[in-house]
Amino acid sequence: MQQSITYYLSRILPENNQWERIWILAKTDFKLRYYETTLGLIWAFLHPIIRMVIYWGVFSYILNPDIPNYGMYIFSGLIVWTYFQEATRKGLMILRNKRYLYENIRMNPYDGFTSSVLSTVINLAFNVGVFMVLSPFFDIGFSFNMLWSIPILLNLAVLVYAISLILVILNSFLKDISQVWDVFLLGMFWINPIFYAKALIFETFPALMYLNPIAGIIVNLRDALMYGQMPDMTLFWFDWAYALALFGLGAWVFNTFFHKAMEKL
Amino acid sequence: MAVDETVIRLQNVSKTFVIRDKKVAPFFTQLGWLVNGKNVRRIEALKNINLEVKKGEFLGIVGENGSGKSTLIHLMTGFYKPDKGGKAEINKSFIRLSLGLGFNQELTARENIYLNGTVMGLTLRQINEKFHEMIAFAELEKFVDTKIKFYSRGMKARLSFAVAIHADAEILLMDEFFGGVGDERFKVKSDRIFKESMIKGRTIVHVSHNLSTIKHYATRVILMHQGELVGIGTPDEVFQIYKEKLRVEKLHLRDYIDEDNAI
Repeated sequence: MQQSITYYLSRILPENNQWERIWILAKTDFKLRYYETTLGLIWAFLHPIIRMVIYWGVFSYILNPDIPNYGMYIFSGLIVWTYFQEATRKGLMILRNKRYLYENIRMNPYDGFTSSVLSTVINLAFNVGVFMVLSPFFDIGFSFNMLWSIPILLNLAVLVYAISLILVILNSFLKDISQVWDVFLLGMFWINPIFYAKALIFETFPALMYLNPIAGIIVNLRDALMYGQMPDMTLFWFDWAYALALFGLGAWVFNTFFHKAMEKL
Repeated sequence: MAVDETVIRLQNVSKTFVIRDKKVAPFFTQLGWLVNGKNVRRIEALKNINLEVKKGEFLGIVGENGSGKSTLIHLMTGFYKPDKGGKAEINKSFIRLSLGLGFNQELTARENIYLNGTVMGLTLRQINEKFHEMIAFAELEKFVDTKIKFYSRGMKARLSFAVAIHADAEILLMDEFFGGVGDERFKVKSDRIFKESMIKGRTIVHVSHNLSTIKHYATRVILMHQGELVGIGTPDEVFQIYKEKLRVEKLHLRDYIDEDNAI
């Protein structure tokens, strides 16, 4: 008889329908993404590695950068960027994809978002796991400062949550938002220190480091994971404040327009 | 107190939808609409509905397509908000059941049971306990780990019924959900369960074109017509009004009733 992790967890953890529902929804999202393919979960590991190798090959040839351990440098930037890109694209569609839930039960409207963010966080954790596994091969030693990556990535998840709340409402009223967001992401990709040394952009446009919260998160995650350093605390707190302020705005937009948005779908 | 307790209350409920005739339009055209408001139509889906549903009642809702039945259910659940001046309340736990529930075609029966079970308010422990019972009831023992996209329509209907009877809710809002599922043998079995355990002790709001189910079970029926509540009473009284309305429109009520011809 085949039994899942969920079955065993449910036998030991206290019963709570809301959290169990969020967990099952997140797990289903994740499962549908990977389990359909022949290689299944292996893709969750292969994806980030392949992407890193391609960018590494191309950019070390074009840019010829003076950055030690350039492959891992790119990888750490890509961890943040791919998560941000995929999770916000997915966030845009939450009301559409979860309409059947909102329609049928008395559910906290935020549950759909929490489960979606959670499923993408599982993916994020996979990428970080791959990074950690590869680290020793690139002379990256263990440091307790690596633990800073947890609050930094949590900051990223809150930011994604906040942006999704705003995007999903906009998307109900203006269907073109998904296209606009794609263009915006394309622009964002090139102004973030994913391939470049942070100095290249930020000594020329220092304001970008603060206007664009992803940049700070990439820089700080790199400091923690690659260099075993404390993050830049000014940036760290600034990015948390940014994410929380945006979350406040997102919650206001979402609470105000949720029902109207559902009628439009 | 318990007998007369009102569990759903709609007061002066109207619902107007603002729709755009051209569904897909370029961004700048849409921006233009925001400014000058063109191509926008107002549809009055419900007009001044006043209705109370008491605890333990089985309320049938009948009416032609587009008469506002499903919108009424969505206002009861709070999914839609009424227009200004109206008030809609539901005081107990509820679930809206529609055909197919929230089944995902790419998931197996097992996965769908866990997904839909938690959606219906069951805890994982409760699902673990009821899992075999659900599968046995749906007669799908040999297909537990088969993706339901490979199921026949009847198998899916059996599965959704088997999950729904365990829903943890005091009010069931059934939107064309039940009207005999599966083959004849399963129909008899599901009819029995429907009567003996699914509706027992619960408040039911049942939207259906299948008037025989409503005739058999409803304690009260309302008739909707073009967004208005035009009839309320026992099934016989309301079917009489419905018949008259359809006669005026040269339609036949028997087209709306199952072969057992309840009227």
